[in-house]
Amino acid sequence: MLLIHCPYCEEARPEVEFAYGGEAHIARPVDPSTYSDEQWEEFLYIRSNPRGRHHERWRHSHGCGRFFNAVRDTVTDVFETTYKAGEARK
Amino acid sequence: MTGFRLADGGRIDRRTKRNFTFDGKARWGYAGDSLASALLAQGQMLFGRSFKYHRPRGILGAGVEEPNALVTVDRGPGRVTPNLRAPSVAIHDGLKAVSQNRFPTLKTDLIAVNNVLSAFFPAGFYNKTFMWPRAAWEKVYEPIIRRLAGLGDSPTTRDPDHYDATYAHCETLVVGAGPAGIAAALEAAATGGRVILIDEQEEIGGGALSDPAQWAWLAEASAKLAAMDNVTVLSRTTAIGHYHQNFVVAAERLTDHLAVNEAEGPREKLWRIRAGEVVLAMGAIERPLVFEGNDVPGVMLASAAKTFALRYGVAVGRKVVVMAVHDSGWRDALALHKAGVNIAAIVDLRRDVASDLIEGARDARIACYQGYAVTSISGGQAVKGVTIALAGFGKGQQLDCDAVLMAGGWTPTVHLWSHAKGTLRWDEAWGAFVPDKTHENLRCVGACAGAWSFGKGLPGGLLPAPKPLHESKAFVDFQNDVKARDIGLAVQEGFRSIEHIKRYTTNGMATDQGKTSNLNGLQIASGVLHRPVTEIGLTTFRPPYTPQSFGAILGHHKEALFQPLRKTVIDDWAASHGAVYENVAQWRRARFFPQGSEDMDAAVARECRTVRSAVGVFDASTLGKIEVVGSDAAEFLNRMYTNPWKSLEPGRCRYGLLLGEHGFIIDDGVSARLAPDRFHLTTTTGGAARVLNMMEDYLQTEWSDLDVWLTSTTEQWAVIAVQGPKARRVIEPLMEGIDLSPEAFPHMAVREGRICGVETRLFRVSFTGELGFEVNVPAEHGRMVWEAIWAEGQKHGAVAYGTETMHVLRAEKGFIIVGQDTDGTITPDDAGLGWAVGKKKPDFVGKRSLARPDIVAPGRKQLVGLLTDDPQAVLEEGAQIVADPNQPVPMTMLGHVTSSYHSATLGRSIAMALVAGGRDRMGETLHIPMPAGTISAKVVAPMFYDPEGSRLNG
Amino acid sequence: MVEIAEIAVSAAELKLGTEPVQGDGVRLSHADPKARYSLRARDAKVLAAVIGRALPGKIGDTDGGIACLGPDEWYALLPAGTDLPRVEGLPASVVDVSSRALGLVLEGPGALAVLSSGCPLDLAKMGVGRATRTVFETVEIVVWREAEDRWHVEVWRSFATWLWNAFLAVMPHAK
Repeated sequence: MLLIHCPYCEEARPEVEFAYGGEAHIARPVDPSTYSDEQWEEFLYIRSNPRGRHHERWRHSHGCGRFFNAVRDTVTDVFETTYKAGEARK
Repeated sequence: MTGFRLADGGRIDRRTKRNFTFDGKARWGYAGDSLASALLAQGQMLFGRSFKYHRPRGILGAGVEEPNALVTVDRGPGRVTPNLRAPSVAIHDGLKAVSQNRFPTLKTDLIAVNNVLSAFFPAGFYNKTFMWPRAAWEKVYEPIIRRLAGLGDSPTTRDPDHYDATYAHCETLVVGAGPAGIAAALEAAATGGRVILIDEQEEIGGGALSDPAQWAWLAEASAKLAAMDNVTVLSRTTAIGHYHQNFVVAAERLTDHLAVNEAEGPREKLWRIRAGEVVLAMGAIERPLVFEGNDVPGVMLASAAKTFALRYGVAVGRKVVVMAVHDSGWRDALALHKAGVNIAAIVDLRRDVASDLIEGARDARIACYQGYAVTSISGGQAVKGVTIALAGFGKGQQLDCDAVLMAGGWTPTVHLWSHAKGTLRWDEAWGAFVPDKTHENLRCVGACAGAWSFGKGLPGGLLPAPKPLHESKAFVDFQNDVKARDIGLAVQEGFRSIEHIKRYTTNGMATDQGKTSNLNGLQIASGVLHRPVTEIGLTTFRPPYTPQSFGAILGHHKEALFQPLRKTVIDDWAASHGAVYENVAQWRRARFFPQGSEDMDAAVARECRTVRSAVGVFDASTLGKIEVVGSDAAEFLNRMYTNPWKSLEPGRCRYGLLLGEHGFIIDDGVSARLAPDRFHLTTTTGGAARVLNMMEDYLQTEWSDLDVWLTSTTEQWAVIAVQGPKARRVIEPLMEGIDLSPEAFPHMAVREGRICGVETRLFRVSFTGELGFEVNVPAEHGRMVWEAIWAEGQKHGAVAYGTETMHVLRAEKGFIIVGQDTDGTITPDDAGLGWAVGKKKPDFVGKRSLARPDIVAPGRKQLVGLLTDDPQAVLEEGAQIVADPNQPVPMTMLGHVTSSYHSATLGRSIAMALVAGGRDRMGETLHIPMPAGTISAKVVAPMFYDPEGSRLNG
Repeated sequence: MVEIAEIAVSAAELKLGTEPVQGDGVRLSHADPKARYSLRARDAKVLAAVIGRALPGKIGDTDGGIACLGPDEWYALLPAGTDLPRVEGLPASVVDVSSRALGLVLEGPGALAVLSSGCPLDLAKMGVGRATRTVFETVEIVVWREAEDRWHVEVWRSFATWLWNAFLAVMPHAK
């Protein structure tokens, strides 16, 4: 079970309090109607799935309830950092 | 007669006898004996039959690495545990142990014919041989193979035991309580932090238990640890796995070492430990040597013989030969000699052996054969002698003996290190993988770090032999019956990676996970391939370190506590009124209320008729509810749902349809605007948590500028639906402050007031098509209000109805159930809910997807009604629909039945279905092929009753 | 074919106890009835002004029966009958959830072990007067350390029966 540092609670908490939220920094377009079918497909379904550094979203569902972002190595599962939603990509 | 009890020595209590049985025969030992030591002391050498060839097998090791001596322990009905390792089973009065894998008895095994025919059972035999004829596999081959294969028997009755579980936290966790582990624990404890020291054996001490010189120190250290408040010592506890960030799972065996009548409380306890630092002090396991006959009972590890003699006071033979390639074999031989065991000879493949060892052996009058190797063993069910030859090829020479001890070097126990993704480094001098790097706060100490004092030796477990490899019966993996020649064959057939060789030969894949075979297998493969071990790679260790009961993994989560069963505050009332339940998500809900001898169909028909003709009361408390508060609440809902919300006036309700960004329906529900900045949302029962999470996601990460907050109120409100033409008359006498007249309180309105003296949010809504109300009251008052409504209802012939009736009533009206009539690929238009999509809204979640090419393409599956030609035929939900019943298989399937019931109101069956191009097929006859014949049905609009909706205004 | 017996004890038969249960070093009971409010606001000052009470500033802190559970979320656990005003026209949310949860109390030297059996937090390091949302096995709870040996556990009403019985199952063995 991972320990995840919640940037809002400012402490490491057990994984069972969290829910995974998929890849981070995929913002919903302000006006989706301006997106072509290809752009919309990209937004909906295409993910980077890297081996190594992955920017991803987590929610401290059974804690403070906040969504936040994390950088995790998909090979080792080691978290490099976590940061609040809305902060610049790290 | 081979093994026997030494006159003195050992940690056993010779004043306390323990009586037990093995294969039904009375046996005894002393308190402190293991099953293996007690049986060895009585001359038992044969412990089991091997997995594939049913060869006789004896003890190999004295610890958890034991591959051969697997026993089933019977502690009474439901308490039969197979595959326990005899050296790890503590004896107690009344212990009933049974050997495994023999038919019919241990001594006379009919299936041992496999051994005679073993030339026909090479690696991959099963894959190659039982290919033809194909039909024979299921009927002949598989049943026979299944009878012959397998280790022990699975339990067939429910486990009556209770299991405990806990989380634990410490600054330092030490795994393994040998001298290195104890030293690490003492050191960590001195700093004041919390320390947990765990060890798998009956008592702590590890290797020191087999070394009387260390017993005084051990007693002192144990006492010191026991006296420290910050130290928890757990013996009989196995660390079964290391997981991320020093999360170690361990299982403590609490009662299996006790007589059945003394065992109280949980059988095992699962420890889920989070540690700041983990220190692995798991020691090392001695490696067998690979030579012809190395599996004959009486051939065992030198370290095992030493443990039996020094810890248990048992000699494994009367005349013992040691086959060593490593100094530790000599040291063990000398220790055994000192303990009173007759060592006849030490054979060592090495010509050069340290002079102090040779002198020690001479002083003990032990014959020494340097440069020699054992080339074969005589004896079948027990060792009768050994043949040795110079360098393995010279002229054979016979030595009489009844036990042969193997000292093939040592393998550090790096299992948990590997679980933690720690890397390993091949140490050429030791011929072993040792811990290298880890990203965890984890370190190895003592023998498992490779820091051992066992002396030096040769890497490589395969002894030189006169026979070519493909003719020899030299075993590598004893538990899975893998011979050196199987590995040779695998290489010959083209396997190169050790991961493939492992799977083809099954080397290391038995319940012992190759504790004694992995390294030998690897080195043999390396030799045959003429490539260094490091290029062949090492297989991956995975939890559990030793086989683990499911009971401990479940902990308290069994039977009634398996998972929460959520009940509403009205559930008890339903139970006392004969409700039959169904589970919906984690909730249990009343499905129908049979009276007298009614079956479900009769009860549902009566409930339906009563709701349509008079009134019914229904517990809808499980509906998900969310309070949406803030000045941007309407704006937020407008963005989330497909339909417009900003124009909804306070006091009014609206049906909301929620899509995913992919455009498919994921939830629905009726929601109310209580005030300009306050909404009361409802969701489906199963969707409550999912919808709230989705809304929080958008609110926090996409539209964090909106002033709106969401609060789950699912459990705040009990919800009582009162539905039917007499619904108003039932609740009217109970209401305060709400004008129920149709003019003041129209369909799809909401009012706040009081009922039975408590606050209520009263919705005028209908999921039945009848005049209806949903009474929301704080849950603590739900039961009281329900009973008041029920009592009032009795004056009007009310029934209580359940979810089955609710389903029929809504299907008659063509109302969908998300997840039943939709399947995650259904758009609003597919479901006939295009009217609920705000055409003028510039955006909402999922809107862009509704314009994607595949969504607007013709031929999509659409929700339609089906009326069977035979009005009494009720279609099966999930049944496939075709246009041409005579088309050969595979037929073109147009869709499937989603909802189907007998409608008492209509006196016939009704169904809804998703059918390709369904709305263009109105009036067509389609076919539903079933095992008993094809059923024909006509496509109609999914609305079977009161299409004008006039009954809502009752 | 292996026949597995019917489940001996069904979850449907679990009952929520009403009377306190005294175990060896630990006592399980129901908390006194409470008024419960979920309080939300971006700016604590706005909320504090509306309800006329001080709010703890940091996640995990409590003050006067109000715990800070998240950056914009507080949970008020007040004497039964306490009325907080409904907010209108201000950037804040006050929702009465008095009926949503039940409060269970574990007290005594063994209380920590009972709670730790299913809660993955290092509760020994949680200070008196601290509160947090977390889980007990699969069930969400709010844990409030009211005193060294007294823990108040908030749980949604429909999960309370399971939690009560899960505590009872552990109580005889927790040390």
